[in-house]
Amino acid sequence: MSKPSDLVQGTLDMLLLKILALEPLNGFAVSQRLQQVSGDILQVSDGSLYPALHKLEQEGWITAEWKKSAQGRRAKYYSLTRLGRRQLEKEANNWDRLSNAITRVVKLKEA
Amino acid sequence: MKPEHWLYTIPLRLRSLFRRSPADQELDEELRDHVERTTEHYAAQGMVWPEARRMALLKLGGVEQTKEKCREARQVNWILDLVQDLRYGLRILQKAPGFTAVAVLTLALGIGANTAIFSIVDAVLLRALPYRHPEQLVLLFNVPLQQPDALASLSYRDFRTYREQNRVFSEMAGNAFHDLTLTGAGEPFVVNTAVVTPEIFALLNAQPLAGRTLLPEDGQQGAAPVAMLSENLWRSRFGANPGLIGQSITLDMRPFTVVGVLPANFRYPESLPRQDVWIAVAQDPLTGPLMSRPGVGILGGIARLKTGVTVEQAQAGMKTLAARMAQEFPAEDAELTVRVEPYRQFVVGNLKSSLLILLGAVGLVLFIACANIANLLLSRATSRGREIAVRIALGAGNARIVRQLLTESALLGLLGGVAGVLLAVGGVWVLRPFVPPDVTQISSIHVGSAVLAFALLLSLAAALGVGLAPALLATPSNLQSNIREGGERTGRRGGHRVRSFLAIAEMSLATVLLIAGGLLIRSLALVTSVHPGFDATEITSAEISLPQFQYSTPQQWETFSRELLAALHAQPGLQDSALAAPLPMDRQGAASLRFSIVGNLPATPGNSPAADYTTVSPGYFDVLRIPLLRGRLFSEQDGPSHPKAVIISEALAQRYFPNEDPIGKQMRFGFPPNSDVSRGIVGVVGDVRNDRLSRRPGPMMYVPFAQAPLWGGEVVVRSSLSPSSVAAAIRQSVYSIDRNLPVTDVGTLADALGRSISQERFRALLLGSFSALALLLAGVGIFGVLSYFAAQRTHEIGVRMALGAQRWDVLRLVLGQGMKLAMLGLSAGVIAALLLTRLMVSLLYGVTPTDPLTFAAVVLVLLTVALTACYLPARRAMRVDPMVALRYE
Repeated sequence: MSKPSDLVQGTLDMLLLKILALEPLNGFAVSQRLQQVSGDILQVSDGSLYPALHKLEQEGWITAEWKKSAQGRRAKYYSLTRLGRRQLEKEANNWDRLSNAITRVVKLKEA
Repeated sequence: MKPEHWLYTIPLRLRSLFRRSPADQELDEELRDHVERTTEHYAAQGMVWPEARRMALLKLGGVEQTKEKCREARQVNWILDLVQDLRYGLRILQKAPGFTAVAVLTLALGIGANTAIFSIVDAVLLRALPYRHPEQLVLLFNVPLQQPDALASLSYRDFRTYREQNRVFSEMAGNAFHDLTLTGAGEPFVVNTAVVTPEIFALLNAQPLAGRTLLPEDGQQGAAPVAMLSENLWRSRFGANPGLIGQSITLDMRPFTVVGVLPANFRYPESLPRQDVWIAVAQDPLTGPLMSRPGVGILGGIARLKTGVTVEQAQAGMKTLAARMAQEFPAEDAELTVRVEPYRQFVVGNLKSSLLILLGAVGLVLFIACANIANLLLSRATSRGREIAVRIALGAGNARIVRQLLTESALLGLLGGVAGVLLAVGGVWVLRPFVPPDVTQISSIHVGSAVLAFALLLSLAAALGVGLAPALLATPSNLQSNIREGGERTGRRGGHRVRSFLAIAEMSLATVLLIAGGLLIRSLALVTSVHPGFDATEITSAEISLPQFQYSTPQQWETFSRELLAALHAQPGLQDSALAAPLPMDRQGAASLRFSIVGNLPATPGNSPAADYTTVSPGYFDVLRIPLLRGRLFSEQDGPSHPKAVIISEALAQRYFPNEDPIGKQMRFGFPPNSDVSRGIVGVVGDVRNDRLSRRPGPMMYVPFAQAPLWGGEVVVRSSLSPSSVAAAIRQSVYSIDRNLPVTDVGTLADALGRSISQERFRALLLGSFSALALLLAGVGIFGVLSYFAAQRTHEIGVRMALGAQRWDVLRLVLGQGMKLAMLGLSAGVIAALLLTRLMVSLLYGVTPTDPLTFAAVVLVLLTVALTACYLPARRAMRVDPMVALRYE
């Protein structure tokens, strides 16, 4: 396993929200999807994942539902709320601004 | 379900110590599900199932930790956490009843003492005076230019001028207080009467309970006489009859219409017993006629400062005004100026310093109690190390542990606080008879809401303050060693220093308290042993007051006194009786008059000599056993038509007739306007402490009652009969002359002496009790600390004994350690006391703040107590079996 890059708590929230914006998933699936989509670069440890999910639920940005999966066992599925959608938009915009600013600085031509 | 699944869930469920709420169950399921899926994921990649499962669990990390982090992320749990902490804390306390009992009791003693004193402070200093903006109220007095402390009343002309011409007060009123006889409602009896100018009610924001207050019209000369009653009088004498308003009552044979009733919580003035009747100055039989006499002081002034004006500014303004008056009316006002005093200060007087010192003392007691509890908690914290380590392993964060330990401390604090409040209530009840009357007059002492809030805050603060350090020390960094060694070694180094410091601190605080207490007790002993100059044993006194309406001339007073003395001496057992006004230790204080000596140069203005003045019947000096030093005592030959005589005290003779025989010299003095009466000195008697036992006797002048009669006085009787029998005999004598005369205020002179030292007695009692308490707590503290140290050194002691040390050496070793702590504490305490006791100097009598006798005695007592406290642990250490000790870890 390649070493995962450090993820700041704030960006983790944004990533989770985005993943859940696409479709409702359970915790394990969210972690898998994140790893897949980012090409193994972004990996979140299980110990950080669940507290983050619970915090998002506490804030009201995601909501949880217990559903019976195909195999007949119960699992907790999270989905994005309207509030969450708005929060995601806000955080995505912030990220854009931040990353553009950093790129501009890095891309400065050396004299 | 797969068997491994069950294997996984059972430990999970067992590990769930706390509660099984649905949210927790869900969390369980969610994480379980996650581990399942991860395992399947790894299995799908080709791992063997057990290996896959192991990887899945590893990937998750600590299950309990993750669960705890999720719970924390939720953040709703703090209420549940608190409830859980409280329940857990209660269980822990129940499991260690010995510790809990000692801790609660110690805390209760500390909190209880503080609460009791605070309730007095609250009653006297803090509770707002029930007037509008009480900080603006000031009192006004006339004072001689050179003697700003000789407070005197204002004449009516002065009062009116000050009121009209001042620029610093928004309101001003005058008052005077004396007795009148109320007749026509049952037996005639004497009422405390407040004689006022009607503005006083608005000034003090007095709301009548019924009817109305006096109005400015009522204060005019010639207006119809009206009166207000106090609620007490209304209820006790008139059955709270609302129809009384509009009815007439008779005061000193004059009819007054009742216009209103003042409520019981209107206690003005706080410095005097309650006033029953309120009338206007113009209609008072005594002061009314004196309104037109410009030189006669009849009123005390009370005023309200204008907004923004300070007391100093008012004082300056009034001084200027008084100087103008002195110029305009030199005859009466030449040597006078005005003094402005804030009202509250006057009411509280010197109680403030006493109370603050008591509060400081009791705070030290609480400190010592808290130090003891801190030691207890430290011991508990180290022995609970294992329990705490397990909890940390199960996922509790450090913050959680500390929170839980603090909750335990808070519980302890609450229990101690409740017990302390109960102790305080009991203590206040027990102390009631010893509380000086000045305090209780101001306000009743009871444990009210302010006091309870104080107790609650104090107990929580104490508990948390005490519990914080042990809580922080209890979260160790090395988990593994804690679980293995059972936590005994944890915090040992830090704990040792803290414990030693606490023990030394306790000893030093106890030393300071004991020295302070000792100084006050010695003061009390010295003041009570002072000889007042007269013999107060077996003396009963009673007050007779002649109503103005019936006895209006000095001749009538003199005749009455003659008849009364004859009747008294005719009674069996009352031969040893006399009449005097005032008696020593009179509640209203001594009367002082200026005098001049005929033949001496006239005194410079402001320097006129003055002396305390008493008018007495001839037998007075014999009854009170005041010794005659020169000349003769009064006799029948000092009658109204004979040359005026005076007897002076030794102090007056020595100060004003230093090298000559005063007998035969003439002095001029008298009540204004007859200030110029010349009297011949016929005798010199011994000095008498007539004001306070703690004040040196000053110059005194005695005149014969027959030549200077007053409208009342005290009958004083020396008899081996009980005071009630004496009073009955006095009443009989009085009634044989006039059936309608009340005899009031029966008491013994010994009681009056006791009352005059009531403050010293109260302080000594309280501080003495506190220092005894502190001594007890400090002794227990040293005992506890030394026991702990000795137990810690058991192993070492075993080694020493094995190497040849004798039992006595061990004893010396442990005892030495304990006594070293005690000596350090003692020295620190003595130094602190040397610095601090000078704050008490105003409360001491006959001893300096650094009195060597007291210091030496206290050091001795403390050394003895420390030795006793150290002895038991040392003896236990002595008895240690070296074989056992060597094996003991």
